[in-house]
Amino acid sequence: MSDLRVTFERRGRPVHALRGVSLQIEPGEIVGLVGESGSGKTVLSLSLLGLLRGEPTPKVSGTARVMGVDMVSAPAAQRRRLLNTQLGAVFQNPMTSLNPTMTVGRQLLESSGSTSESVRLLEAVGVPNPQERLDSYPHEFSGGQLQRIMIAMAIAGNPSLVVADEPSTALDVTVQMQILELLASLRDHLGCSFLLVTHDLGVASEIADRIAVLYAGKLLESRGSQAMLTEPAHPYSIGLLQSRLSLSSDRERPLISLPGEPPDPRLPPRGCPFAPRCELRIDDCEARMPELVELTDGGFSACIRLQEAAAYRAEFEPPLPWAEGAVSEDAIVRLDGVTKTFKKRRGWSHQEIQALRGISLEVRRGEAIALVGESGCGKSTLLRVVSGLLDHDGGELALAEDLDPQMVFQDALASLTPWLSVQELVGERLRGRGQSKTEVRRMVIDALQRVGLTEELMTAKPRQLSGGQAQRVALARAIVAPPGLLLADEPTSALDVSLGAVVLNLIGQLRRELSLTVMFVTHDLAAARVVADRIAVIQSGEIVEIGRADEVVSAPQHAYTETLLASVPGRVAPIQ
Amino acid sequence: MTASDTGTTTLGSPRARLLGSLRRVRLSDGLGLAALAVLVLVAIAAPVVAPHSATAPSGIPLSPPSGSAWLGTDEVGRDILSRLIFGLRLSLVGAVLVIASGVIIGSVIGLVAGAVGGWVDMLLMRLTDVFLALPAPVLAIAVVAAMGPSFTNTLLAVSIVWWPWYARIVRGEVTAIGARPHVDAAKLAGVGRPRLWSRHLLPGAGPSVLVVASLDVGYLVLILAGLSFLGLGAPAPAPELGAMAAQGLRFLLSKWWVPVFPGIAVAALAYTANLAGDALRDLIGDR
Repeated sequence: MSDLRVTFERRGRPVHALRGVSLQIEPGEIVGLVGESGSGKTVLSLSLLGLLRGEPTPKVSGTARVMGVDMVSAPAAQRRRLLNTQLGAVFQNPMTSLNPTMTVGRQLLESSGSTSESVRLLEAVGVPNPQERLDSYPHEFSGGQLQRIMIAMAIAGNPSLVVADEPSTALDVTVQMQILELLASLRDHLGCSFLLVTHDLGVASEIADRIAVLYAGKLLESRGSQAMLTEPAHPYSIGLLQSRLSLSSDRERPLISLPGEPPDPRLPPRGCPFAPRCELRIDDCEARMPELVELTDGGFSACIRLQEAAAYRAEFEPPLPWAEGAVSEDAIVRLDGVTKTFKKRRGWSHQEIQALRGISLEVRRGEAIALVGESGCGKSTLLRVVSGLLDHDGGELALAEDLDPQMVFQDALASLTPWLSVQELVGERLRGRGQSKTEVRRMVIDALQRVGLTEELMTAKPRQLSGGQAQRVALARAIVAPPGLLLADEPTSALDVSLGAVVLNLIGQLRRELSLTVMFVTHDLAAARVVADRIAVIQSGEIVEIGRADEVVSAPQHAYTETLLASVPGRVAPIQ
Repeated sequence: MTASDTGTTTLGSPRARLLGSLRRVRLSDGLGLAALAVLVLVAIAAPVVAPHSATAPSGIPLSPPSGSAWLGTDEVGRDILSRLIFGLRLSLVGAVLVIASGVIIGSVIGLVAGAVGGWVDMLLMRLTDVFLALPAPVLAIAVVAAMGPSFTNTLLAVSIVWWPWYARIVRGEVTAIGARPHVDAAKLAGVGRPRLWSRHLLPGAGPSVLVVASLDVGYLVLILAGLSFLGLGAPAPAPELGAMAAQGLRFLLSKWWVPVFPGIAVAALAYTANLAGDALRDLIGDR
């Protein structure tokens, strides 16, 4: 790829998705392309595949050569031929990438050419009983199996390059690692190159030989994986790595996070796009975009203050530790053998799904407890039962009086009523408490400031908010009158890594400032360990292990906890 | 993940946003909206715009289109253009009244059905189905036969069969919105039922209702004209487009302008209303 530029038009205004990206992928190499949402990483992979579409047609300049054919300017027939023979693609969601009305065998046949080849491919990607499974429809497979089938299609005909766009993100944590390992082993056997597009440096570091960091449509750094993890050169890479959660993150202090947000792609800055968020910024940074400079180890970085960045990395001082929180002994939530069964009707037959199978748990005033498990394990159901949104079927549930539980959701934007303003949404909790309009207004402003927002957002509607702002508004609504219990349902899993760290910090800070009790649902043990005092591991509606957070992580008692631990990506030592 | 997923915010002023959405209007949509706006203005200003009275004779009966009576006069000597302008007004008022009643009744029933659910939903929706099964013209004949011919009675009859469509739309939207996280969030925030329904559920049905209502204008103009053509409208001498066409029908071969102009007026009004409805749908769907 050389000086690749892509500009879309959205609502009559140009959106600069890629602003001159040059990148080479060697034969047999796995390149990890890392970027936050909006960085242009998906646009880049689509341009490489020649699949960029849009109305009006996006403006593309520069070249994206695959085996000598430019996917930008070559005739459509030639591009299609190359796509068939030399390229493979794996996308984030295998459920929507396969046709639900056709058997997997027929769909595989389109790329493999023969049934025997299909069977061979399925074997190669580790789908059991390939011969029989050819007659199954996509809905009869699990997400992980479907992604394996997608990979089988991608490697049909021995392509030179496979583009994998977030291939593991939509899958359960325990499956993610298997998919990554599969990609790495396929490279070893087939010798094809991979472009692994991901938002998670940890995922990329698992299997990539080289990591390229994309930010606001510009390549900021490109390094060997090991070098990127141990001595990142660009301040953005340093920040990204520092804010990454791992099982060894310091849980005594706030997580290191990047301040601010990426620039608006409609108004890209002239200079270094990261400059406004960079602690090492000098005026020259914003005068013009720094060139990629070759480093001693053969990598590249686009920063004019590399020496200062190296010093900054070496002498970095972590944030001050949290103040001690007070946990009292009295339980404000007590569950004793709580069960919940959902009845589902399929045609004439009734199906019962046991979401909770006898949960017993005590939550003490002032503590933070994390409920950890995979999707479908019942952790969100448990939270909804405690919140009162859902009734339980059996067992006892006792809540302290005046608990007023509040909840923040995974999809913060969807949890805000689209046609109401921020002021109405946050102020709504204060209705009927006998406060005057000016008092309510002052309290709303207070709450917004507490979560790091300004008064100007009072009149904004939810769709004008960014993902991070939406989660902050949801938190402001929860704490505008401090609740006895804060329930958090995967509040960070839809956010980028650096933003996730910000929200975890915010919850940690609010919890200590307002002495909140927190129940935090997540699939990520690393996040649980940082946020919570205690961790409860849930499998199939039962608590299989519960204990102090660092003990559960360092000395797991249950086999399932070990599986979860092994699937946390990026088990590399953090930079010192 | 596309470029729109970026985390940045733009808080444009309302004025800028309005200009932005106007810029996205296609030419055909713009023409439709403009034409309907002109017709509505003419209807509102009918007493000022109409050259003559709609009910009193102003010239020689059955005189052809001329400089003093652009569209000619009818069998009593009334100016056809003036009668069309007042008829336009009556048609639009009728359509708007039926739609308004449909939106109000339909919203209430749809909201209650969708928000409460369970057997209440079942009961209300089956009731809705019953009304949906009534044929408008037959019901209109029954109402007029029972209560005498009048514009009000016709509107009443049409309204009775019209609201079920809105009830269905509102109920569907409210059911879908009720499953969204923001409703759970509002419940936990302690929002009471009246406010939950009126502020967190009902507004979500607004865009769909608006689109259907705008497309209904043209349809209702035709239905009301049809009913008055059958003699189920306001009694003479009210300037109703359908009735004018019906009364003029016997002159079709000799004095063509008497029945033809009202017919053209009905068609043009319905067509313009449909164009404008399509335009509105495009505008709302765009967001």
